[in-house]
Amino acid sequence: MSRSPTEHRVPNADRLDEDGARITVDVDGQEITVFRYDGEYYAVLNFCVHQAGPLCEGRLTGRMTTDEDGWEWTYDDEEKHVVCPWHGWKFDITDGTNVSDSRYVVPTYDVEKRDGELYIVR
Amino acid sequence: MVASQSQARSSVTSIDDVGLVVDADSHLTESVDDLYPYMDDRDEGIKQLIKLSEIPFSDIFSITAPTPIFPDGQDEGTADVDLWSGANDIEGKHDLMDEYGIDHSIVNPTLVAVVNTVNNSRIARALVSAYNRYLIDNFADSDRISNIMVVAPHEPNRAAEEIDEWADEDSVVGVLIPPAGLVPAAGDRRYDPIYEAAQRHDLPVHYHSNTGAVHRSFPMQHNWSQTYAEEHAIMHPFTHMWNLSSLLFNGTPERFPDVEFVFNEAGIGWIPYMTWRLDDHYLELPHDVPVLEKLPSEYISDQFYFTTQPLGHTARDGRHIAQIIEMIGPDSVMYSADLPHPDFDLPAELFDRIRSQFDDEAVEKIMGKNAADLFGIEA
Ligand code: FES
Repeated sequence: MSRSPTEHRVPNADRLDEDGARITVDVDGQEITVFRYDGEYYAVLNFCVHQAGPLCEGRLTGRMTTDEDGWEWTYDDEEKHVVCPWHGWKFDITDGTNVSDSRYVVPTYDVEKRDGELYIVR
Repeated sequence: MVASQSQARSSVTSIDDVGLVVDADSHLTESVDDLYPYMDDRDEGIKQLIKLSEIPFSDIFSITAPTPIFPDGQDEGTADVDLWSGANDIEGKHDLMDEYGIDHSIVNPTLVAVVNTVNNSRIARALVSAYNRYLIDNFADSDRISNIMVVAPHEPNRAAEEIDEWADEDSVVGVLIPPAGLVPAAGDRRYDPIYEAAQRHDLPVHYHSNTGAVHRSFPMQHNWSQTYAEEHAIMHPFTHMWNLSSLLFNGTPERFPDVEFVFNEAGIGWIPYMTWRLDDHYLELPHDVPVLEKLPSEYISDQFYFTTQPLGHTARDGRHIAQIIEMIGPDSVMYSADLPHPDFDLPAELFDRIRSQFDDEAVEKIMGKNAADLFGIEA
């Protein structure tokens, strides 16, 4: 059986007034966190695929990258990566993938914006 | 695991049924005296300097242990087979291999494996150059022996030249970077010229751990070991754990994707443990390891090999050896005897523990075929 996705209104969405802000919402018993990053909204399940930690309570950071040769280390300061507060696994909030191994993915959801309100589509 | 349905159809029922047994870590027993004739004109001064020494083990090398190294392992007076002198020439090697059921040997050094204890980089370079000449002059003409040349890591550019000089010899199938006493560890970028040369010549890079040199890399542990037994038990795995971690977290296999890395002489029990740790750290500390594109365990299964000796004492349940190999991956494991050193493992010591746990193909791979493929040995 499949069901069509439902929109879940995000209460107090006006508090997402700057990049890096977040609100965690209970959606049918699951915690989903909506982050604002670069003026857009991203919804991520507050559940770490490592050992089930509260992923979305972690801080948002950039990430370390290197040049082709591996000598230059550059800090990519796009702060779109949430670091799990339990053991430090780091995920891209825009698509849920782990920065070290893209086979580890946390669920993400579309966010609709309408009439000044935000809706998690799940 | 392990035991597959094809076990019922197994045709490899005894060690005699194995098509090819390769000792992937065999040894010569070279002495300083063996090397003198192979020091050429450019090393005449070095040769004279070494000859001034009454005790080259301490004045040229700096080989030391808390108590005597395997004092009863080489008893020439009573042993049936004189292991030590059985490795001085091709005939001696063949005799030992026949005695113990080994078809092919991959040959490492003994003395120059601790070249990291030589302070003087000119002397170190001269000793490995002489060893490589001695090796090729004495052990190149056997279709049952393949040779691992050696470099002194002290001056990596000269080490790369040494590889260029010998890599085209048919019998040379790998290059040893002695890892015991190697400081900094093997993943430091100063060694990149050595890896570049190995990659250019398609030679696997070997790391053979040794005691006698570990005081250079683990001085505190050496200085406070009360006995050789205590030192020997931990220094082989410590050496490999340090060098394996260094290679992976500094991205050496990522920079040199065609190089294969071979670890000798610390057994295999430590590998799953270390692999799990490395994967775990890669995932938990991504800011420290930006140079890797995949899990350390994936580089290990793609580019790394481990030889089995010393297996350790597995009397409680011999299957544990097979379980460890299953965890590492049977494609990455190669049987080794370590002959003629006194902690050697004969082929049956491994075969008896894996035969009932793997299918024929995996058993053949572990006992010899993996080595044949890696080193280009024709069966
Ligand atoms: S539970 Fe998230 S990193 Fe371990």
